[in-house]
Formats: sequence, structure tokens, C-alpha cells
Amino acid sequence: MTIALGVLQVVLLVIGAPLLRGIVGRLKAVLQRRRGAPIWRPYADIWKLLHKEDLVPPSASGIFGLAPLLLLVTSILATAFVPLLANSALLGSTGDFILLVYLLAFGRFFLALGGMDGGSAFGGMGASREALVSSLAEVPLVLGLVAVAIQASNASVVGMTEWALERNFFNISAVHLLAFLALGIVALAETGRMPVDNPATHLELTMIHEGMVLEYSGPNLALIEWAGAIKLSFMAGLLIALFAPWGMATTFSPAALGLAAVAMLAKTFALAVALAVIESGIAKLRMYAVPDFLGVAAAFGTLAVIFTALMKR
Amino acid sequence: MAVATLAGCGASGHSLLNSEVRKLNPSLLTPFPFTFSLDPLGLFFLILICTVSLPVALFSVSYVKRHYSAARQKWLWALLFLFVTSMAGVVAASSGFAFLVCWEIMSLASAGLILIEGSSGDRRHNLFIYLLMTHAATAAVIAAFLVFLPHSHSLDFAAIRAAGATLPPGVRIALFLLAFAGFGTKAGIIPLHLWLPRAHPIAPSPVSALMSGVMLKIAVYGFVRFAFDFLVGGPAWFGYLVLVAGAVSGLLGVLYAIAEHDLKRLLAYHSVENIGIIYLGLGASLVFMAHGARVWAALALAGALLHTLNHALFKSLLFLGTGAIADSTHTVDLEKLGGLQRRMPVTGAVFLIGCCSIIGLPLFNGFISEWMIFRSFLGGSTLTNSIAQTLLPLIVGVLALIGGLAAACFVKVFGVAFLGRPRSQEAEHASEAPLAMRAGMMLLAAGCMVIGIWPGAFLRPIVSLAQSLVGAPAAPPETLLIARVIPWVAAAFLALLAVVSVLKRAKRQTPTWACGLPGLTSRMQYTSTSFSKPIRFVFGRVYKADRKLEVLPEDQPYFPASISYHSVRTTSYERFLYRPFVDGVVAAANQLRRLQTGNIQVYLLYIVMTLVSLLLYLRLAG
Amino acid sequence: MGILETTAGKVLSAYSVFLFLTVLAQAAARRFSTNVLLFSLQSAIIAIQVAVIGYHEKLVEAYVVAALIVLLKVVGIPYAFFRLIEKLQSPREVISATSAAESVFVAVGIICLSYAAVRSYASGVHAPEDSLAASVALILTGAFLMVSRRKALVQMIGLLVLENGIFLAALTTTFGMPLIIEIGIFFDVLIGLLLMGLFVFRIRDTFDHLDVSKLRKLRG
Repeated sequence: MTIALGVLQVVLLVIGAPLLRGIVGRLKAVLQRRRGAPIWRPYADIWKLLHKEDLVPPSASGIFGLAPLLLLVTSILATAFVPLLANSALLGSTGDFILLVYLLAFGRFFLALGGMDGGSAFGGMGASREALVSSLAEVPLVLGLVAVAIQASNASVVGMTEWALERNFFNISAVHLLAFLALGIVALAETGRMPVDNPATHLELTMIHEGMVLEYSGPNLALIEWAGAIKLSFMAGLLIALFAPWGMATTFSPAALGLAAVAMLAKTFALAVALAVIESGIAKLRMYAVPDFLGVAAAFGTLAVIFTALMKR
Repeated sequence: MAVATLAGCGASGHSLLNSEVRKLNPSLLTPFPFTFSLDPLGLFFLILICTVSLPVALFSVSYVKRHYSAARQKWLWALLFLFVTSMAGVVAASSGFAFLVCWEIMSLASAGLILIEGSSGDRRHNLFIYLLMTHAATAAVIAAFLVFLPHSHSLDFAAIRAAGATLPPGVRIALFLLAFAGFGTKAGIIPLHLWLPRAHPIAPSPVSALMSGVMLKIAVYGFVRFAFDFLVGGPAWFGYLVLVAGAVSGLLGVLYAIAEHDLKRLLAYHSVENIGIIYLGLGASLVFMAHGARVWAALALAGALLHTLNHALFKSLLFLGTGAIADSTHTVDLEKLGGLQRRMPVTGAVFLIGCCSIIGLPLFNGFISEWMIFRSFLGGSTLTNSIAQTLLPLIVGVLALIGGLAAACFVKVFGVAFLGRPRSQEAEHASEAPLAMRAGMMLLAAGCMVIGIWPGAFLRPIVSLAQSLVGAPAAPPETLLIARVIPWVAAAFLALLAVVSVLKRAKRQTPTWACGLPGLTSRMQYTSTSFSKPIRFVFGRVYKADRKLEVLPEDQPYFPASISYHSVRTTSYERFLYRPFVDGVVAAANQLRRLQTGNIQVYLLYIVMTLVSLLLYLRLAG
Repeated sequence: MGILETTAGKVLSAYSVFLFLTVLAQAAARRFSTNVLLFSLQSAIIAIQVAVIGYHEKLVEAYVVAALIVLLKVVGIPYAFFRLIEKLQSPREVISATSAAESVFVAVGIICLSYAAVRSYASGVHAPEDSLAASVALILTGAFLMVSRRKALVQMIGLLVLENGIFLAALTTTFGMPLIIEIGIFFDVLIGLLLMGLFVFRIRDTFDHLDVSKLRKLRG
């Protein structure tokens, strides 16, 4: 039963991921008084790309084709850490957050290599910027998770969720608030969202992720897009599981699971609204202001960890 | 010669692995006890030496043949053999005298190996700095043994160990600091690392692999022997000192590495970084020991030891890969490489495995050891001491930053050297390395993968070794966890990879997008320097770079006829740390010269004065 | 009985987290208007604290104080500031000697220092440690804002934050300060602000900007 649920959760996160992206896009359109594309559009995009030819630059080696595969595989593996409907996940209790963070790094590393394999300036530029942003984002990401893990006395995602489930909203500590801020900022940076990167532009002055994947087309691009969508849904799932898991099913009865699904959808929608508001309300940061932004997140993470020690006394 | 070394390495490794603790005692020949025996700690390091030396020797078989004249080949093999044997001697020594003799042979043999490559003035200068610093380190180590002597009355390790428990605190501190400085210099912790990025790049590649992969580990061995075996920990500030050294070395090492474009220097700085990570583990272990949390101490120490082994594997792999690149393209300058993956697929693949291992990606060996060190820092929150409780978990952030920056650096290394278009004629016409070289590298790469995918088999002996060193009552439960979950992740990974590959389609080659303009050249690619620019900009304060931009003619800045950009990254250690010290020594020496008048009567006066003062001392002291 | 054991003490502790957040946010804020809003928010939190304590302790005075805080600090002073910004037409950005990340790290350091500082003292006066630390942190952050920010306007905000800290410290240690003293403090600050406001106008008129670092040129 647990395994079936775990598989179901992974499938939900992987298959539902483009939908979340579509919803965020639609919400942004509504906020900006545009009509916007239908929320199913990302599926259509992926479907279309999957049926196109795969164009490869002449300088590319095997890494070019391998990178999207590895990116997608590690993204799917990462979703196996996130409890969604009930507090269990395939890797959620045996694998800890360090493994999770490094799995994400795995995909990023290869995508950056794939970007450099094209032999143009854009790929290198994107890879170089991605390297900066992701290496700096690692600090608040890890510190935020460390703080929560110390509070829960458990380094696995399921353990951390368990701790939060046992408490109610008003009983959750300052550590969680600070860690949430740190991880929230990291989530924006990791998924290439607004103040850090603009997913909607191909302007070379600003682009990070899009520069890296500029040479990709067809099925390769479909895999990358899908992996990006999975990363967004994964981040949403992780934030919900760590900081607002209330409503998860405690038994495996259909009623409880159904209720949990409704709660999960509501919380995800709330996050999507928040993301749309942030993206519509904030301008993209200058490239060299991004380290400062991530530095603020690192400071939040640091304080969160310090507070774990302060709270104990 | 090659076969002899191979056989020697193999035989020594094999015979020693299969025997129990065996004593070798040629003491009759010497005035001091000159004994060898193997305990688990020594055995661990001996295995490390053998597992790395064997593939390196295999690699050298064809590398040496292609690069050196017959006369030099003989010297090289002889010295290489001496080098490896002396390192084995250091870890097998069971008396201070044997330890020091082997230690010294090790230093000299490595210096000799560097000289084989050539002896230009610049080379000799770098070599001189290496010899100077390595002997300063040796002096500190000798002093450490001598400080033990009045308490242990013997240089035998058993006597030293017995005396270690009952040392007065002052002596204990002096000993720790001497060992820390001596072995720290040899291991290359910042700011004592000065020799490392100078000596490693000028050695022949297989020798660099041994120096970086193994010789630095001998220094780690020495430190572990002193701090854990002889002194059995100490006050918490010992640990914090090691932690600070580790954090500084790790962070600055990787930052300096990113700024390099000479592949060998870059890898040398990464050795500094990884030694920093190892020291972080050792420091955490000392802190845990000081606070009585021995199980956590065992986890941290086991992580540090495993990382020592891992670093030996992947760093020698990377240096061998660099050797293969140099063999094929005659350069190790990243700015002149590119597109090698298509030309040297096997070298590229094993080099990529080395890269993945060094940045600690899961399913590669670096991850396992870094994971253990991470987890041990997390365990700092269970201590009751408020400083440790706050500080140890925060260091996880430092480790994460080191990891992130290392990943950035190796994207640069692999992306610039192996991917994209070739940046020079030499890289354009590169060809795959010969079989022996490939085989050597593949052996090391296989080692990295095996530890990374099936860590359980390797963790058990290392954890029990760490347990016995720190006196932990039980094995840390975390190690079982990682050993259990990693094979599953690997299996899931492969299964998913197989499933996802179904989505791929036939491909067609098209030109790279060049904004619709023709004539995309390799010079338009991002270079190593431009890749690292954002990071160098953000961490600008670390580098203190001197930049010079020359635009000719000066009155037309936007349409220059020629433009030259020159950037020198001065490591300020020479200027701010070593230079004042050297100046001080020279000034003191100049003052001392006044004593040297050349007048015979004055010398007689010195002798008389010495006698008188000695007599006075005897009288007053008696 | 000290304040520590009462509901009021718990309230003070619980709300101090939000005060820490405003401190961090003020250190990070790049815009002057954000800083003013954060100050307003900070004052609102303190006002709520006062009101809630008044409710639990059945103190009518407290409502008056809370109302005063809302009137002056949550609405009045920020409104005046916004008017001032409009009139001065000065650029919106805060010019700072330290970057946002550095400032936040300084604020983190300040918070740790505050906890370390009040550690021994808190048990002595039976005050909740978190709240006392928050008040010290507010005082130090106010001082830090005044030191690191180059514009006269932000330095005024720094003074106000500092005053908030002093008020909170008084609230935490000797709850039930006489109303008349509270009002006295308010007016002190108000007059200080008025004077600074006048100076700001004079500086602007004389130099055409508000960057106080340029005042150094006045030195003979």
C-alpha cells in the first residue's frame, strides 16, 4: 500500500507538473489582464516537441544528448522524496535531504555541460551564470533544510513532515518561518523564476536557463521543459510538505486520501497564486544583484540554524 | 623496469594485505629502533597507496616511454619505485625514527621526480620552495617526536601511545600544534599551501597523480596518527582550530581553482580544497570527542578517512586524465583545448567520472564521504555545548558552498576542455590515449564507481577503524542508512534512464545557432576565463587581482587596432604573510653577521664567555 | 510576580519573532518607502502587543498607549514621511555602505549578540528573553541603519527604530509604565523628528541632495 501510494505520488508530480506550469502562466496572464494560453498548453508543447526532429550541432558529443535524459531522470528521482497525499514517499524516509540536494545538482551539472557542448557563446554564457546562481543557492537551500531537520531531529523529508504534522499552524516556530523564507527564495532561483531569471525571454543580457538550452530542440527540448516543470512542482510539493503539511491523510482510507488530495490541490493553487503575484509584481534583478538576493536568503538560513540552538534552551 | 615496479607494487600490496600484523625489525643496524608493523590505520593507508599506485604505474608504462629518453626512463622508474616504497614505509613504520627516515626519502624522491621533467630556472625556484616548505614541515614533525621523547623515553609508537594518555596539558598543546603545523604544511592547508600549486604542476603527470593523490594523504595519515592515536583528542579548541583550517582551505582552495586555467594548477588547488574537506571531518571528530559524543566522532572520522581514499582515487584519475590530454595535445592550458570528447572518447568518459566524483554527485564515491561529513555536522545539534550546537550545523552551509563552487569549476573544466569546438590546432588533431594509459585511468574510474554505487562493503571496515580510533561504543547508524539507500537509488536511476531513453528520436546535424550570421568560430565560445568571470566578480575580494587593459591607439577606444588584457591574480600570501617573515629572518641574519668579525681573538672571547656562562649556569642552577 | 510567568510574557515572546523579521527586512530593504512601511508594520506589531497585554492584564491605560502608537507611529509618522518623499523628490533608493546581503548578515549578528547580551539579565528581571532580545536588537539595528545608510531620511528611520526598541525594552522589563512617561517619550521623539526634518530640508536646499557623506566637505 505504501509503495503503491509512493508510486502514485511520483506519477502525480511528474504527470501533473506541466499543468502547474500552465496554471501559473494563466494566473500571470489574468493578473496582467491578458487572456493567456489555456492551462493545458505545456502538455501540447511537450507533445509537439516530442514528435519533432532532434537537431544536433556539429561540435556536439554524446554529452549533448545525455544531459536532458539525466536531467529528467534526476528530477523524477527527486519527486520520490516528497510526501504528497499521506506522509510517506518512496525515498522520503530512507533518503535524506542531502541526497536530495545532490540529486538536483546532478541534473544541473549535466545540463550545464550540455549547454557548453553546442560550441556557441550562448551555451557557455548560460552555463556560467547557472553555475554562479546554483552554487550560491546551495547555501540557503542546505541551511534552511538543516534548520528544519534539527527542529524535527530527523534528516529525512518524511521525518520533517511528521514533526510539522504533529503541531498546528500556531505552534510552529520561528525557525520554520525563517527557513521558509530562505527556501522560498531558493525555490525561485532553482526553478528559474522571476527575480532571478526570466523564463519568458531570450534576451542575452538577462537569460540564464534559456541561454543554456538554446541549442536544444525537438525531443531533447521536450525533456528539458518537462524536467523544468517537474522541478517547479517538486519545489511546491517540498515547501508544502515541510511547512504546511496539514490535511495529509493519516490512514489509507479513500475518504482520507480524497480529503488529502483536495487539501493538496488547494495549497498548491495558493502557491501558484503567490508565484504569479510575485512574478507579476517584481522586476528581474540585474545579474550581479542576484548574489545579493541569494545572500539575503543565506542570512535567513543562517539565522534559522542559530535559532534552533537558541530555542533549545 | 616497468614490470618490476608493477610487480613490486603488486607484491608489496598483496603480501601485506594478506598478512596479519607483521613485524619487521632491522633495528640492529641502527642506533634507534627502526621497526615496521601494520595496525588497522596503517593498513588502511597502505591499501590506499597500493590501489592508487598500481593504476598509476600502469599508466606510466606507456606515458614514460613516449615522453622520456632511455636514460631518464631508468631514473624515473627507480625514483618512482623509491617514492612509492617510502610512502608505504611511512604508514608501516612503528617507530618515530623509521617514520622520519621514510618521510624524508618520500620528500626527496618526489623532488627528484620533479627534476626529471627538466631544470629551468623557474622550475628550480618552485622546487626550492617545495623543498624549503617540506623541510620546515619535517622540522616540525621531528620536533613533535622530540617533545614526546622525555615522556615516552622511546620513539617506539607503543611507548609514545602509552605516554600520550598521561601528558601534561602544556606539552599536549605544544605537540598538537607542532603536528598540526608540520602535517598541515605537507597536506597543503591554507596558508601553508604555498608549495602545492607550485610543485604539483611541474611534475610529470603520473607523479603529480601520486603527489596529489597519495603523498598528501600521508600527511593526513600523520595527523590522524598524532591527533587520534597518540593524543586521543584534546580540548575542544583543537577541533575548532582544525575546523577553521579546513573551512578556509576548502573555500579558498576552490575559489582559487576556479580562477585558474592551467589544468594542473587548477587540480592542485582542488587538492587544497579536498584536504580542507578532510580536515573539516577531522575537526568535527575532535570536537565531538572533546564533548564525549564518540559515535558522532566516529562518523565524522570515518567520513574523513573515506574521503581521503576517495580523493586519492579521483584526484589521481584526474591528473592521469590531464596527462593523457598533455600527451595528445602538448598543452594543459584550458584556453587551448576544447572538443576533446569527440576525439578522445574514453579519456573523456573517465575524466567525466572523475569530475562527477570530485564534486560529490550521488552514485559516485565523493558523495558518500561528503554525505558522512555532512551528517556528522548535522549531529552537532545534539551536543549540549551551545557553541558547538550553533557552529557545527552552520558549517554545513560552508560545505554546501564548497560543493556548489566545485561543481561550477568542473563544469568549466570539462565543458571547456572536452566539449564544444577545439580552440587550437593541437586540440583539433588530438587522438585517443594508448591502451595502457586508458587501462590505468579506467581502473581508477571503476574504483570511483564501485565505492559510489556499493558503499556498504567499504564503509564497514572504515567505520570500524574510525570506531576503534575514537573509542566509540557503537557504529553510527547513519552509515547503514546510506549503504542501504544508494544501491536502490542507482537501480531506480538506471531503470528510469532506460524508460526515458525511449522518448528519444533520430537526430540530424545542423549548424550551431549564430544569430543568423555566418562564420561561427571557436574563438566565439566561452573560454575558461570568461566562464569563471561571474564567480570571480562576486568573490572579487578574495582574489585581489591586478588588471591591465591596453587599448591601442588610445584615442579610439571603440575601434581599437589592438587590445590586450592582462590579469594577474596575486595570491597575497607571499606578499602579506611570507614576505615579512622572510624579511625578518634576513634582517636578523644581518644583525648576527656583526658577531662574525673575522678576528681570532673575538672568537676566543666567545668561547671563554660560553664557558663562563655555562659554569655560572651550573652554579646557579645547582 | 514577574512578567515571565504571565500570559503577557508569552505574548511578548511569541510576537518578537515578527519583530526580528522586520529587523531583517529593514536591513535588506533597498527602497526608502519599503523601509517606512516596515517601520509602520513594526510599530503595529508593538501596538498589538500592548493591546493584547492590556486585555490580559485588564489595564485600560494600555489601550490608550496602543491607540497612541497606532495614531503616531503606524499612521502619522509614515504618512508624514511619504509626504516628505513627495516634496523632496529625492531618488527612491537607499544608498548604503554595505550590500543587502551584508546588511542582513549584520542584522543576524545583531540578533545573536542581543540574545547573548540579555542572557544573564533576562532571568534577573524576570522578563521574557525573546522579547528583551528583540528590544536590544531593535536598538542596535536602529543604530546600524543610522551608521550605514548615507541618506538623512533613512537615518531618521533608524532613530525611530531605535526608539521602538527602547519602548519595547521598557515594556518588557517594567510593564505598567505610567502613562504620562509614555506620552513624554512620544513627544520627545516627535520633537527630535521635527528638528531632523527641518535639517533635512536645509541640507537639501543647500546641497541639492541628502547624501550626508558629502557633508564631510564642510570640514575646513
